[in-house]
Amino acid sequence: MHIVDGALSNEVVIAGGILAVGGIAMGLRKMDMEKIPAAGMMSATFFVASLIHVPIGPSSVHLIMNGLAGLILGWTAFPALFVGLLLQALFFGYGGVTTLGVNTFAIAFPAVVMHYICRNGIQHSNKKVAMAWGALAGGASIALTALVVTLALALTGEAFLPAAKLVVLAHTPVMLVEGFLCACAVGLIHRVKPELFNTFFKAKQVQHA
Amino acid sequence: MRKWLLLIAFMSLSVPAHAHKVIASAWLDGSDIEGEVGLSNGEMAKDGTLVEVFDDQDNKLGETKITTDGLFRFTPTKPVTHHFTANLGAGHMASVIVSRDELPDNLQSPKQTPTTSAPQQMAPSSPSVQSSDLKHMIAKVVRQEVQPLRKEIASYKEKNDLQSILGGIGYILGLTGVVFYIAARRKENKNT
Repeated sequence: MHIVDGALSNEVVIAGGILAVGGIAMGLRKMDMEKIPAAGMMSATFFVASLIHVPIGPSSVHLIMNGLAGLILGWTAFPALFVGLLLQALFFGYGGVTTLGVNTFAIAFPAVVMHYICRNGIQHSNKKVAMAWGALAGGASIALTALVVTLALALTGEAFLPAAKLVVLAHTPVMLVEGFLCACAVGLIHRVKPELFNTFFKAKQVQHA
Repeated sequence: MRKWLLLIAFMSLSVPAHAHKVIASAWLDGSDIEGEVGLSNGEMAKDGTLVEVFDDQDNKLGETKITTDGLFRFTPTKPVTHHFTANLGAGHMASVIVSRDELPDNLQSPKQTPTTSAPQQMAPSSPSVQSSDLKHMIAKVVRQEVQPLRKEIASYKEKNDLQSILGGIGYILGLTGVVFYIAARRKENKNT
């Protein structure tokens, strides 16, 4: 999922960088005191989760957990995931420093999209319904990330359709596992700390008003 | 549900953490450059993958294809630094650099020929031919023997050790603190 240095054309790298900077700025503006610890937590979760590679079939895959980050953080997922990616690039050489923008966008943008799609669903009073929305967020964010990555590669010149099929196919197991984990997390939050979703939305509404 | 989570946790702990990184290396084989391209999980590049060769100024010197086991072979014709690049798809780019002084002797600058011919003058001609053959054979055998070791070192380099992971978490905690500090300052400024 991490695109390495030199695999993309300059235009794509620059465009990705601009989009990522925009997202990070947006995220930082929306970050208030209550969100900071959650952002740090999700950043650490992403950092560790995507280091654990599970071999499936011919290649190996890893969790990303961007769906959960999106559900909890919204736009703040951009800076949180950026920090995780930056540390991975520096410590382990995953991805590259120049493609950081593209990678950040590919992972954080689906998180934000799923946040807006699922934010009412996960607050449903019925736990089962909320978990189903959580599963959707977890799975769909991976699919979207795969599509964005493929699109970035396609803009550089790789044939889009076969590559997209391959990437989506390779990530089907991750989508399932991630959907399951995300549903569990939503279920747990629903039972233990339902205000984790609520406070942020209220805070946001106050900001808008 | 907790059982399942535990199971998944154990599953993920039991497998070594493999990075999906590209490993490429090249060495000399007679008058050719031979190289190897693969991913760090032990998978080698597919047969027929294009390997392009460039010099320092990005001028294309030629191209070759990957044959079995991720190996490729290229005969250098110019005494310049060779950059080999291969696109393995899905954002994986491999590149190896063979610098000028690693190239075969017949491509080296003429300055070096006296040093190699000096011992030949002293020794009788037939053993010297044998010794150069022997050298090639030894080089080949050593390369074969060292091959698994090189792979092991490559995969060892890819290992994520616990310390770096903990270090990363530490950085994230520290950054959280910094953001808290900034947020607190902002709040204070607003209040005053």
